[in-house]
Amino acid sequence: MSLTPASYRHRLPLSLSVAAVVTAVSMALALGLQTLDNLREDQGRNALRLGHAMSEILVQALLHDDVWLAYSLLRGPEKDAADATWILIDAGQRIFASNRPERFRLDQSLEAALPWLPVAAFSPDAPAPALVRSIEPQDDGTRRVLRLTLASEGGPVGELIALLSDRPFLARFREILVGGVLVTAAVLAVLLPAGWLWGRRMASPLMQLAACMARVGTEDARQLRCKIPESDSEIGQLGRQFSAMLAALAEKDALEQQMLQAERLAAVGRVAAGVAHEVNNPLGGMLMAIDTYRQGQVLDARTARLLDLIDRALQQIRGSVSALLVEARGDSRSLAPTDLDDVRTLIQPKLARSSVNVAWSIGLVSAVDLPAAPVRQLLLNLFLNAIEAAEPGGAVRVEVGTEGAHLAVRVENSGRPIPAEQLAHLFEPYPEQRPHAQGLGLWICYQIASQLGGRIQVASSAERTCFQVALPLGTEEVS
Amino acid sequence: MLTRRDLLRAIGLLGISPSGWCEPIATGAAQDPSAGERPALRFGLTPVILDDRVAFLRLWASWLERQLGRPVVFIQRARYREIMDLLLRGGLDLAWICGYPYVQHRRELTLVAVPRFQGQPRYRSYVIVGADAPFTALRDLQGRLFAWSDPDSNSGYLYPRFALLEQGQDPDRFFGRTFFTWGHRHTVEAVAEGLTDGAAVDSYVWETLARRVPELTRRTRIILRSPLFGFPPLAGAPGLAPTDLQAIRRILLRQDQDPIGRQLLDELNLDGFAPAEPALFDDIAAMAERLDTGRRT
Repeated sequence: MSLTPASYRHRLPLSLSVAAVVTAVSMALALGLQTLDNLREDQGRNALRLGHAMSEILVQALLHDDVWLAYSLLRGPEKDAADATWILIDAGQRIFASNRPERFRLDQSLEAALPWLPVAAFSPDAPAPALVRSIEPQDDGTRRVLRLTLASEGGPVGELIALLSDRPFLARFREILVGGVLVTAAVLAVLLPAGWLWGRRMASPLMQLAACMARVGTEDARQLRCKIPESDSEIGQLGRQFSAMLAALAEKDALEQQMLQAERLAAVGRVAAGVAHEVNNPLGGMLMAIDTYRQGQVLDARTARLLDLIDRALQQIRGSVSALLVEARGDSRSLAPTDLDDVRTLIQPKLARSSVNVAWSIGLVSAVDLPAAPVRQLLLNLFLNAIEAAEPGGAVRVEVGTEGAHLAVRVENSGRPIPAEQLAHLFEPYPEQRPHAQGLGLWICYQIASQLGGRIQVASSAERTCFQVALPLGTEEVS
Repeated sequence: MLTRRDLLRAIGLLGISPSGWCEPIATGAAQDPSAGERPALRFGLTPVILDDRVAFLRLWASWLERQLGRPVVFIQRARYREIMDLLLRGGLDLAWICGYPYVQHRRELTLVAVPRFQGQPRYRSYVIVGADAPFTALRDLQGRLFAWSDPDSNSGYLYPRFALLEQGQDPDRFFGRTFFTWGHRHTVEAVAEGLTDGAAVDSYVWETLARRVPELTRRTRIILRSPLFGFPPLAGAPGLAPTDLQAIRRILLRQDQDPIGRQLLDELNLDGFAPAEPALFDDIAAMAERLDTGRRT
């Protein structure tokens, strides 16, 4: 298992939190160390000032051999809270007084009391300047030593030593540190949830995008509905790019689907046309043979009935086959507005029987360069289908007009939508899903549109179904 | 301890109380109209008592002023000798001094009164050591640190030296090192804080401290109690007028009869003041003489 969480949902807030904690801790640490440093410096300065202030009276005490005077001065008003251990040494390097009298006894030699302290060179000519020096921390906590040579006229009479440790202000330092930690904790208590929330907010668009991308490939791009983050940030740009990519993908899918369908329908058309031709030739011969046979001799009643039966069967075959074989070509008459009116007239009886409301809108003012018969057939089929599909009380809307270099036919009806699985096979002959329909209407429409170089499309929503046909004007028909 | 409340009460009594003790002052002032112009009575104090309590001394001075009908000024010095010099040279009218300097100047000084402590005008010298120190007798302190109170003190200097001499020791060489603390209270502190191994102290001061600051005396232990000596007396200067002497003596001897005076005595941890005869200090004189001869030989 990896220690770093993989998801930005955790990683982003976590790194924000870690940054906040690290910042707070290092701030507290730096401030604490700085404070400790300042406290030490202050202590040294104060000790030096105090030593200088006391020096005159201490010289007097040394000269007059007044132990009590020196002691009462060194012990100060607060015996136990004293900042430093003060030791007064006489000229013979023996302890004269100290504010820790039990440890530094009167008359004890300095060397015995503080073996680690280097022997000060008592030089009458140049007394060593008073200064605070850091030393190796001793067992008693002494870290710094102040040495102040006490001189009277005529030379040094003794030395004042202060042993400084961190103990006096450790409590104060601890207080400062605890205060710092508390403030840090309080700030973190606010920062951490805020950082966490902010991190989540920053990461959430990425999450959305990632979740959406994960669905690409497993789901149909056209059905993919994703919440894409909207912002001007890089993530927003990414989201927009992704949307564009999804749209392109959907378009490509749709195009592929269309092509597949067109190819399939074209193949079916070719097969139908081939079969029709193959059937039509012998069929013609057979019908002609029967006709010839009838005319050539007198037939008994039984034979005549048999021939009639064969004749009718063959005629039925021819009817069925020619229905499959749509021929858009061959009619050179141009489509005029009256052709469209004819369609309406033809429909009128059927319309009268149903209670469908028809909106009829023809935007064609003159003849256009399209064969009249197939277009009439196409419109008629679509119209009939629409009336059928619109339930009683429904509405049908028919629009025909030119749009640019196309003749646009739009037939819309209310009613139940066409299921998606039917849409895929809608233009095939005898579709499985509509066994009771005659089955060739839309097939013929498709064939006509294809042969005229146009396109037919269907869109079906919950309330209406719309067939849309676009036929190019003035172009040569394609097969 | 003298609290702020006591102080206020005392001042209140001094100011407005019509009680009996006020009357002598009123009559005194009436009898002697020049009272306000009379020079202040100069009263010297030495560390034989706990002389560091300013508020108490003010109250006592004010009480004495009322009684005497003239201003009273306490004059304090760090060392016995300075007070003695002032007293002998006319800088003071009277002083509370130690029995040792008194016997040295017996002829020039007059005894005004002697305090009564624990029922009698006597006290002792205590030799004390740290509470946890191993010493049990004076001889254990040989070669050790020792603190004297004052070279003119009987209990804090004369008696311990005499005791050593009696034991056949040389008081100047017996201890490893000695020093003066210039006050009995300091002496107790020096022992309690470990500055010295042993010290000699006034029994009255030690007992008073034991009552008032028990945490201080608890850190010390008495290893030697001297015989009784005459309590440090109040001595009149050579030039003190007999009438003044009588007036002061009368007031002091009656201080324990007066409610405020009684309170002040309680603060001092004393029973009262008694008339004194020079013979009370004969023991001290004998010790001084013995030491002087000891030094000469």
